[in-house]
Amino acid sequence: MSMVYRKILKLLMTFFVIITLNFCLPRLMPGDPFYFLSSEQGEITISYSDEEIQRQRAYYGLDKPIMVQYGGYLKSMAKGDLGYSIYFNNDVWTIIKNRIPWSISLVFLSMIIGGFFGIILGCLSAWQRNGLLDKILYSTMVFVSEIPPFLIGILFLFYLAAHWGLFPLSGGMTPFADYASWTDRIFDIAYHGILPVITLGVVQMGDFFLISRSSMIAVMNKDYMTTARAKGITTGRILLRHALTNAALPIITRIFNGLGQAVGGTVLVENVFNYPGLGLLMRQAVLVRDYPLIQGIFLTITLFVLIMNFMADIVYKKFDPRIV
Amino acid sequence: MTKSHKSKLLILLILAAIALNVTGCGLKPQQNTVAGSDEQKDFPLIIRLEGGDWGFPSPFAHYSRGPGMAKMRLIYDSLLEKGEKGLIPWLAKSWSISPDGREYTFVLNSQVKWHDGEILSAEDVKFSFEYFLKHPPVSNSLLIDGKPFIEKIDIIDENQVKITVSEPNSTILDRLGIVRIIPKHIWETIDDPKKVTDLDKLVGCGPYILTDYSQEQGAYRFQAFKDYWGPKPLVDIIEFVPVSDPVLAFEKGEIDLIKVPEDLMTRYLGNEEYKLLKSPAFWGYKLMFNMEKKPELADIAVRKAIAHAINVNELIEKVARGAAVPASPGYLPIDHIWHNPDVTKYEFDLEKAKALLNNRTLDLVLLIADDQKEARIAELLKINFAKVGINLKAQAVDMKTRDSMVKEQNYELALIGHGGWGQDADILRENYGVIVAKDSSPSSNVIPGYSNPKINELCIKQLTELDEESRKAMIMELQKIISDEIPLLPLYNTVEYAVFRPQKYDGWVHVFDHHEVTHNKLSYLER
Repeated sequence: MSMVYRKILKLLMTFFVIITLNFCLPRLMPGDPFYFLSSEQGEITISYSDEEIQRQRAYYGLDKPIMVQYGGYLKSMAKGDLGYSIYFNNDVWTIIKNRIPWSISLVFLSMIIGGFFGIILGCLSAWQRNGLLDKILYSTMVFVSEIPPFLIGILFLFYLAAHWGLFPLSGGMTPFADYASWTDRIFDIAYHGILPVITLGVVQMGDFFLISRSSMIAVMNKDYMTTARAKGITTGRILLRHALTNAALPIITRIFNGLGQAVGGTVLVENVFNYPGLGLLMRQAVLVRDYPLIQGIFLTITLFVLIMNFMADIVYKKFDPRIV
Repeated sequence: MTKSHKSKLLILLILAAIALNVTGCGLKPQQNTVAGSDEQKDFPLIIRLEGGDWGFPSPFAHYSRGPGMAKMRLIYDSLLEKGEKGLIPWLAKSWSISPDGREYTFVLNSQVKWHDGEILSAEDVKFSFEYFLKHPPVSNSLLIDGKPFIEKIDIIDENQVKITVSEPNSTILDRLGIVRIIPKHIWETIDDPKKVTDLDKLVGCGPYILTDYSQEQGAYRFQAFKDYWGPKPLVDIIEFVPVSDPVLAFEKGEIDLIKVPEDLMTRYLGNEEYKLLKSPAFWGYKLMFNMEKKPELADIAVRKAIAHAINVNELIEKVARGAAVPASPGYLPIDHIWHNPDVTKYEFDLEKAKALLNNRTLDLVLLIADDQKEARIAELLKINFAKVGINLKAQAVDMKTRDSMVKEQNYELALIGHGGWGQDADILRENYGVIVAKDSSPSSNVIPGYSNPKINELCIKQLTELDEESRKAMIMELQKIISDEIPLLPLYNTVEYAVFRPQKYDGWVHVFDHHEVTHNKLSYLER
């Protein structure tokens, strides 16, 4: 148990350093959240005089000395208050909480799909190493994993959604829908999520394939594999029970890394499908210098990564008792 | 990937699809699903437009961008409205201004109902102005150079309100006219209106009621208010829905109007199913000169040389893909109601530029945003500048950083793109003149290192001139002087083409000072 305590203490220290950086970084960026001079083409922004900017800074407490702001930030954090967004005019936690389920389900489902096919094909490829199947799979997967997700997304959007009309063009659910039951609602959300999930899943599949293949190849050459074969165990059992279990560590690392990045890693796919995740929100928060929201999103990302790393450590131990 | 990259890729795909169409296997524009006017009587007319989150549409909570403001204005009416040619009566059926220009009396329409059935009173109007002075809305017109100008508000009778202002000012009618009128019975007990986000508090007297809003989906649904006092809403329901790519969504019939990208114009031109509406050119790029940091720029010959060394038509062709017009050196663009066509113009002439520079060479740094269009403009400027002896170096930073650097006057040349070029001609003072102090004397110059007494004087004079014709004459003169002096150089103003299916709805209109047809409420009302 002492290992768990040590780990928790280390995590807490890391967390403190990170929230401090989290406070400083947005404020180090040049630019003022209230000053608008230029705008995107065709857009009109409302510009404020110096007096109005001062009044707004005071409203959000940004006129106070930086250490006072930092103290206030730590105090609010201790109370679980992430602050109030300057641009989005809403409670930071409410904004984040409304988007987290979309981002997480997107990453989680795409990882299940991508992981499942990637690992199975990776095992097969390793088993048939240098065979025709391996060659075809390997070159296809290298190709797939190198295509940027937005390109796959745009192709899906164009052909599957626009051209053949199989899926909706955008969004996370039908706007203003009045669902008869919760199953209808789930179905609608799933229907809207299919293309974004498959897009991310395809990219994940390439990654999982390459990792599991190389990891399996390393394991395949071990003596105990020869023993297993000599004992006459079936191919499937050798692959899944003897080889995959021993080749699992890098794959687990990949899974938890991927889950850790759930919050911010989907921005390109969200952009293509206009999907309501946190990635696009983060991009916009940075563009408009919304300090409280940037802090809130970065904090959420940090927490996710830390928790996932922590869980990866625990799962590692289950798979490999040598790890302390 | 940025939105522009994405759009380009999609445009390529769509162009590919058009090619496929020839062989009959491509993307087919959806046929009209809504028939003529007979059927429209039986079914509510629903117009769907590109959504996106622009904030909760209360006057205090929407985002500080045009689309946020436009949605809020569907719910809330004002005393006057922007019409196709100028200000038009709205909640106030008439108004008068005292000869000294300090008293504005508005006569209200009677029997105007709030969305909750209560009757709008003069008390609500007085309350709105007073409440906004205490709790400024996102878009606040009740300040001039950051200072309030209303002295007092008196209720004359149940239909008349008199507003007294501290000093005469030609922009005040516009400023008072566009203030949203909010119900006293909803807001009088609210101390922090920014934090109000309940739909039931969104009671206005405008033509539409917000029935649904989803921040994360970026979706809004507005329903016509059946007891609306004013012109009848022609559109029963307006829905703003999330859209991945506007062109695909329009082709599939998911939305009813888009701004068509320049390269896709030919797809809709000459096709009876579609109608194109050209916007006035009220968004544009200008080149700022910092004469304090780069004193060479204070020399008018250098500024003129720069103007002659810019091939605006090339910029329009290569950067704006033809969808722009050359900007006026006098600033107010060609579509502005007070544009002066007789300003001094600077044709592209490298020999003239060289002669003006008189063998001098210059090293200049141009501050731009990290945006593809701005980078292209910088590259094209650089090529021609080099031919006349100006060595131009572009410095690209993100938009917010650029804005701050310009504010801190930390630049030599800066390229800035922004909207609002169609607004009241007082934008000349805001761009070239001075910030007016309380005693009406100049307190600070807007362009670093530049001050021109004639421009300053006219800027202030037009602000206090209440006779429209005299003021217009001053604005014309001002534009001429500005074009001779070019203290900053407007480059080009973009035009946009809205495309829609007229069979479904054909009520789209531009108001006199704005380039978006979907942003004004007249587009949805009977005229």
